[in-house]
Amino acid sequence: MKKFLSLFVFLMVLTIGSSCWAQGTVKIGVVGPRTGPAAATGQAFEEGIALAIDHINAAGGVLGKKLEIVFEDTGGVPEKAAAAFERLATKEKVPVVVGESHSSSALAEIELANRYKLPLIICEAWHDDITAKGYKWVFRAGPANSGVVDFYIAPFVKDMGFKKVAIVRENSDWGAGIAERTEFDLKKMNIPFTTLKIERDSKDFYTELTKLKAEKPDIILAYIYGTGLHFFIAQANEIGLSPRALVLDGAGPPSLWDSFWKNVGKAGDLELFMSSMHEKVHLTNTSRKFWDAYNKKYGKNPTDYKSRSIYNVILIAADAINRAKSTDAEKVVAALEKSNLEVTTGVVKFGLKSGSYEYHQWMPPMLVVQWQDKNQVVVYPKKAATGPLKKAK
Amino acid sequence: MKSSTIWFSVAGLSVAIILPFFLSQYWLHVMIISLFYVMMASSWNLLAGYTGQVSFAHAAFAGVGAYTSGMLSVFLGVSPWLGILIGIISAALLGLGLGVLCIRMGGIYLSLTTLGFSEIIRIIITNEDNWTRGTMGLQTPGLFVEYSKTGYYFIFLAVAVAIGVVIYKLIHSEWGLTMRAVLNDEIAASASGINTINVRLLAFTFTSAIAGLAGGLYGHYLMLVTPDIPSLGQMFLVLAMAVIGGMGSFAGPIVGSFVLEILSEYIREWGEYHVLIFGLIALAMARFAPEGLMGLWINKRKGHGHTN
Repeated sequence: MKKFLSLFVFLMVLTIGSSCWAQGTVKIGVVGPRTGPAAATGQAFEEGIALAIDHINAAGGVLGKKLEIVFEDTGGVPEKAAAAFERLATKEKVPVVVGESHSSSALAEIELANRYKLPLIICEAWHDDITAKGYKWVFRAGPANSGVVDFYIAPFVKDMGFKKVAIVRENSDWGAGIAERTEFDLKKMNIPFTTLKIERDSKDFYTELTKLKAEKPDIILAYIYGTGLHFFIAQANEIGLSPRALVLDGAGPPSLWDSFWKNVGKAGDLELFMSSMHEKVHLTNTSRKFWDAYNKKYGKNPTDYKSRSIYNVILIAADAINRAKSTDAEKVVAALEKSNLEVTTGVVKFGLKSGSYEYHQWMPPMLVVQWQDKNQVVVYPKKAATGPLKKAK
Repeated sequence: MKSSTIWFSVAGLSVAIILPFFLSQYWLHVMIISLFYVMMASSWNLLAGYTGQVSFAHAAFAGVGAYTSGMLSVFLGVSPWLGILIGIISAALLGLGLGVLCIRMGGIYLSLTTLGFSEIIRIIITNEDNWTRGTMGLQTPGLFVEYSKTGYYFIFLAVAVAIGVVIYKLIHSEWGLTMRAVLNDEIAASASGINTINVRLLAFTFTSAIAGLAGGLYGHYLMLVTPDIPSLGQMFLVLAMAVIGGMGSFAGPIVGSFVLEILSEYIREWGEYHVLIFGLIALAMARFAPEGLMGLWINKRKGHGHTN
């Protein structure tokens, strides 16, 4: 009997005691995939987080205290993402959460952000609804599907004179959303297209690709996030579909992961991808600083642009808390709405008109980059281009 | 009922009732999840520990409950309470159907069939994403208009206690005796005039219904239903809870659920490895302490010569 009681008391002490740690720092929560098919994004996030901590603490920290980051893994699945957010809200009691790079996970998290009245700044989950739902606590300093398609992908397809488009999209919220917007824009521009839906974790695309080959597209918009994209590119080349039809990776990072060239071999040449970062394109001073700091810390150039995206949102969060002079959620939201901060991709100002995805949204400029002999060449928009688009002969 | 058992139940229940007034939101969340596992592990134990049918479809039935109720409330606007009820019925019917098909096989063949069934459910849910939203997860309404963790806690507690009482009554009834007779020696039981097939089928259907109920509640608590619920990972966690706590005892799965769920909050940083660790602990327990934590505790008390 005594044993049983002591076990009970022990559990009680554990449960109550763990929430009372000393408060010498200001914590910011980060959510993102550290495991699963996009674990490389977690790696990029970690690099960006380390640089952001260095940068902010060197400049005096947050509210005069040192900044601390609590990075919770989402595994890229909504259920784990919701649990991770729950933990940040109720256990870590962070005043702000930033991050995320999966739309399905983000859509689960915004519901919790709304419930706990906890400000959340999304950096790399593109689904329109994340901001279109109009939640007061949710911001996005990163691309939105409609923005990426309307301002970059659709004009690129039109301006470069592609005649027949194939859309291949994964069964995720991001894939469904971006494909739908692309179809909408292509219809308006009278460019014929065909759409195929694929399983997110698939590694074998031969059936789909054979079907596509018969359609004779000259551009394939591949909305696949994860290593699946690598297999897609390799197999498209193997059956002779590409590079006659160029492949555009609609997300970007998978084309920059270390495993890319290992998995695709020479099939990677002439592949296109979306990015918000390029060695030769520095839109702001902060961008240059980030590049140099990254180089110094890791002894190489940054590749995955998501290391910079997470860096940006941590800067935005710290800046808002400092201006609010408080970690109070209402005050932080008010400060965020007045953000006017230079980050690596421009000057952040969130949209304030509700009713569309542009509410609490700030969209950084994007680039279409092409691999040409393993060199990254910006081919679109034209004013940022570092070289012409190459098509297969 | 022994006086010590009554004492335990009263003490445990009083602690459980005052707990929400001391716990943070976070630990209340952990308690709610633990109670979900209490429902799952206790009912699985009734099936595996008392009638010897090691089913791997228990999590799948929870998934059936969760998705039935979730989809009804999302697409048809059915009240979650009614949805959960329909979820229970669906899980029970599917359990009965699966039971009729494969219960005669018994042993390893039953396990393999339920394993297959479980994967079929998961694959259907993942691929029919027009209806289930697949891996994206289906967002479902909650049980209350105003979200309240304390409210959920008491619902989960009430249901878990009710399930516990029913299971306790069952295993201490003549039916429980029959079930154990089937477990210990099916041929002897059959020779004594027990319709072993009916006993096993009934246990299978009943526990599937409980899994459906647990799954339905769980889905409306998380307000998110994903293929994680009917996954094998979830199944193995339930299995580990029952085995580590003590299979074939009433209190074993309850203790196992709390211990493993609370423990997993502490070793979560190790990521996927924590499932591996639970697996290893479960293996070690099965080899060296087949009666689990409860068995160890009881033996120790006996060893010291204590009696109640």
